[in-house]
Amino acid sequence: MTTYRLRGARLFDPTNGVDGQVRDIVMRDGRLADLDPRAPVDEEIDAGGNIAMAGGIDLHSHIGGGKVNLARLLMPEDHRRGAEPLPLPGNPLELPSCGHCAPGTLATGYRYAEMGYTAAFEPAMVASNARQAHFEMGDVPIIDHGAYVMLGNDEPFLQMLAAGEDPKRLREYVGWTIHATKALGVKVVNPAGISAFKFNQRRLDVDERHAHWQVTPRQVVGALARAVQELGLAHPLHIHASNLGVAGNIDSTLATIAALDGLPGHLTHVQFHSYGREGPRKFSSAALALAEAVDAHPNVSIDIGQILFGQTVTASGDTMRQAANADLASPRKWIGADIECDAGCGVLPFRYREQSYVNALQWTIGLELFLRVRDPWRVVLTTDHPNGAPFTSYPHLIRLLMDKAFRDEQLARLHPDVAAQSPLREMTRELSLYEIAIMTRAAPARLLGLADRGHLGAGAAADVAVYREEGDAESMFSRPSWVFKDGRPVVRDGRVVATPTGAVHFAVPELDAGVETKILGRRSRSLGGPPRWAVIGHDELCGCCNGGRLLPAACVARSV
Amino acid sequence: MPPSAASTEPAWTCPFCPLLCDDFALDAAGAVPALLGSDCPRAMAALRRHARQAAPAQARIDGQPASLDEAIAEAARRLAGWRQPLFGGLGTDIAGARALYRLAARTGAICDAADGDALMAGVRAQQDRGQYTATLAEVGARADLVVFVDTDAVSRFPEFLARCGFNGPGGPTPPLVFVGVPVPPGLPAAFKAQAVVASDDPFADLQQLAALVAAQRMRDAHPALAALAGRLRSARYAVLVWEPASLPAHAALWAEALQRLVATLNRTTRAASVALGGGDGAASVNQVFTWLSGLPLRTRAGPDGLEHEPLRFGAARLLANGAVDGLLWIASFDPSRVPPPGGASRIVLGPPAMAERLPAAPATVFIPVATPGLNAPGHLFRTDGIVVVPLVAARDDGLAGVPEVVARLAELVGGAP
Repeated sequence: MTTYRLRGARLFDPTNGVDGQVRDIVMRDGRLADLDPRAPVDEEIDAGGNIAMAGGIDLHSHIGGGKVNLARLLMPEDHRRGAEPLPLPGNPLELPSCGHCAPGTLATGYRYAEMGYTAAFEPAMVASNARQAHFEMGDVPIIDHGAYVMLGNDEPFLQMLAAGEDPKRLREYVGWTIHATKALGVKVVNPAGISAFKFNQRRLDVDERHAHWQVTPRQVVGALARAVQELGLAHPLHIHASNLGVAGNIDSTLATIAALDGLPGHLTHVQFHSYGREGPRKFSSAALALAEAVDAHPNVSIDIGQILFGQTVTASGDTMRQAANADLASPRKWIGADIECDAGCGVLPFRYREQSYVNALQWTIGLELFLRVRDPWRVVLTTDHPNGAPFTSYPHLIRLLMDKAFRDEQLARLHPDVAAQSPLREMTRELSLYEIAIMTRAAPARLLGLADRGHLGAGAAADVAVYREEGDAESMFSRPSWVFKDGRPVVRDGRVVATPTGAVHFAVPELDAGVETKILGRRSRSLGGPPRWAVIGHDELCGCCNGGRLLPAACVARSV
Repeated sequence: MPPSAASTEPAWTCPFCPLLCDDFALDAAGAVPALLGSDCPRAMAALRRHARQAAPAQARIDGQPASLDEAIAEAARRLAGWRQPLFGGLGTDIAGARALYRLAARTGAICDAADGDALMAGVRAQQDRGQYTATLAEVGARADLVVFVDTDAVSRFPEFLARCGFNGPGGPTPPLVFVGVPVPPGLPAAFKAQAVVASDDPFADLQQLAALVAAQRMRDAHPALAALAGRLRSARYAVLVWEPASLPAHAALWAEALQRLVATLNRTTRAASVALGGGDGAASVNQVFTWLSGLPLRTRAGPDGLEHEPLRFGAARLLANGAVDGLLWIASFDPSRVPPPGGASRIVLGPPAMAERLPAAPATVFIPVATPGLNAPGHLFRTDGIVVVPLVAARDDGLAGVPEVVARLAELVGGAP
């Protein structure tokens, strides 16, 4: 394998405390190496005038699985230009694949790599749809991937919780599900609410009971957070809280934090969960309240789920909330599904408009949250692709965070009441490159337990993004000079130059002997099929993932 | 897989219809594989067509025996010379579809499934209206009313009720209503079934039912439809079952109306739809092409870009009009699914038993391939479009699979990437 030495770039490597110093980066055998500056390498690259960071890591992006493909099927207009077809790729290395908010898997991999991202994680893998998710992620070229399995609306779990079973049983079931679906983490979406919608409940507050199972979201969150902690998963329970998008939902978001009872929890796309009901429209920013809660709870991390204006499609497991918003779909159509006594999904096209009071406020709330929370290590940059905006808008979002004047310019274009009153006007903070490197690389790697990713220390995977330091942050982050994946150039001057197959990250919880038999024995025929193919084995996973490398992460059990 | 679980259940999944039943077994020792634990006529007929061949499988070039290598080389040579290829049939699994997409991208082929018209009816309704669906286990767990609209389901999907869990002793037996079709014979006595036949126009009946469900005032409403609308509104979870292939032309309009009806119900109570179809690989290949490219079948990577033409790119139409000069036909599940007539040069990938069924045509390369779920492993989407079911090989006939053959074709045809 070719060895490379990048010379002259300013490095931003927060994990190792490097803040803009010029240092060499040496890549050898897919890893970063600590090599004597005089030692020869195959290729020296003059990266003067550039900055270098570890490859970007998106810890919450809907890149593959049933609802993502339903979004593609629902949105043919996203795959043409008016009545005309979208042109084929100009790059002969790329297979035809298109789409803006619902891109094909191939386009997803190309576009992520072209921004300097080298990993993305599907946050909502339905257990009974796990094979499709792995197939699709396997067809996302270049970048590494992994998924969090959705629990907390599946009937076996709700039944055990309702029966007051020993937490050990719940932990075994959660651990086995991770093993069976080859998940990296566990996500809960509208705790118990997806299931409640199947029983025609239209909302479920944190302390409200599920009409059939009689459990509350608080119980579900508490039990799952405990199971995840005891199993020793690196990533805390990934939580899409109750009442997404509802005015006043800050109450349920704060109640969800309380339900964790000090256990680690990652609250996702918090922008959608930070709404008050002040003001004449009974819809207001509660970003301050959430930021204060995050500051006060070191067990909590967040990603933002920033919205940006324009057409997108929202793909969520939260059937209850998607059904409630169906009339807001634009264009007016949507897809929903009740899935296998396990989960659900809802897919709604949406157009965020600058002149909509609500959308404009959502935009400011997301930015407020980015700028208010004090500890950047607990904040991850996301748009909840594609729900807030497509991931390709990250460079624009980074500029909004780094450039107060640009932010003000955008704010001035919004609905006048929002533009006039938003606290964003007074917020002067501009994020530094170091902070951006934390929120897009170092923090997500740490929150996922990827010790050899997200940084530039010796021994780390040689996933490196190099950006020319010129122009504004948006143009800089749109077009890296080089991107290396496992020590191999995959992008040069913003253009894909190689399309290797990415690897799949998954967790390997310790399971007691006999657990599998016990769980399969009492598992109903729901959840996709019979026990004999309940577990995705390593060979099958490898086939799904197109022969990409398997990267199992060992878990060390912890007591709570 | 724990051995305890494996030993107590049948280790086969039937690939021959999109229900992908996994609770009966196969004895593949005899010439005709025997079904154990089911008398599904569809599966038994399919298995008879896959009787073990006395002679080893034989590739053919224009009727003359050839080695596999020769046939692949000749097929690649011809394919490379076609100006507008059509990939038809598309009877393969997920791995086969992945390989086919790459070959289609290189050759600019138009791709359409054997049941493309039915598939596109669903796809077009999905594109224009959306849908609300339930998976089979969800139907079994929740339905308190199942309405079959213009299909009796069991004629073409004999195990449907069993697949929803409606067959076991003490299992649920929701009332069944058949709209526009008679109650099928042989339903278990535990079911209360009723037929509603209003007119002989499926569009008019569905439209009237939808209007009645929306509680619009209607003069001269058909009493049976009015009664059914009332039952739908008061059901806690109604399931509407439909079958795209059973509908007349313009089925997408019908499907949209059905989804509108389901959406109306979901405003006050709960309801969902289940579509029966997408077998012989059609739904699976459609899913794979959609995720890779962003667009479903009836698409080509043409000179103007990725062109999706749900009407113009129908295979039968293209062949009849002479709009394509070559057909790559893939039908690995069913040896009787021979390519449709038309003047184009052909490359046919089918089970060995297809050879004798192929109509005499001057320019045909035949390459025998394995059948996922019979003599090769694989993966298919179940009819509900969400569960991907792994298939296992029940016997080894030493056949190459579609993924392998297509990958070799792509290599020989060349081009990027």
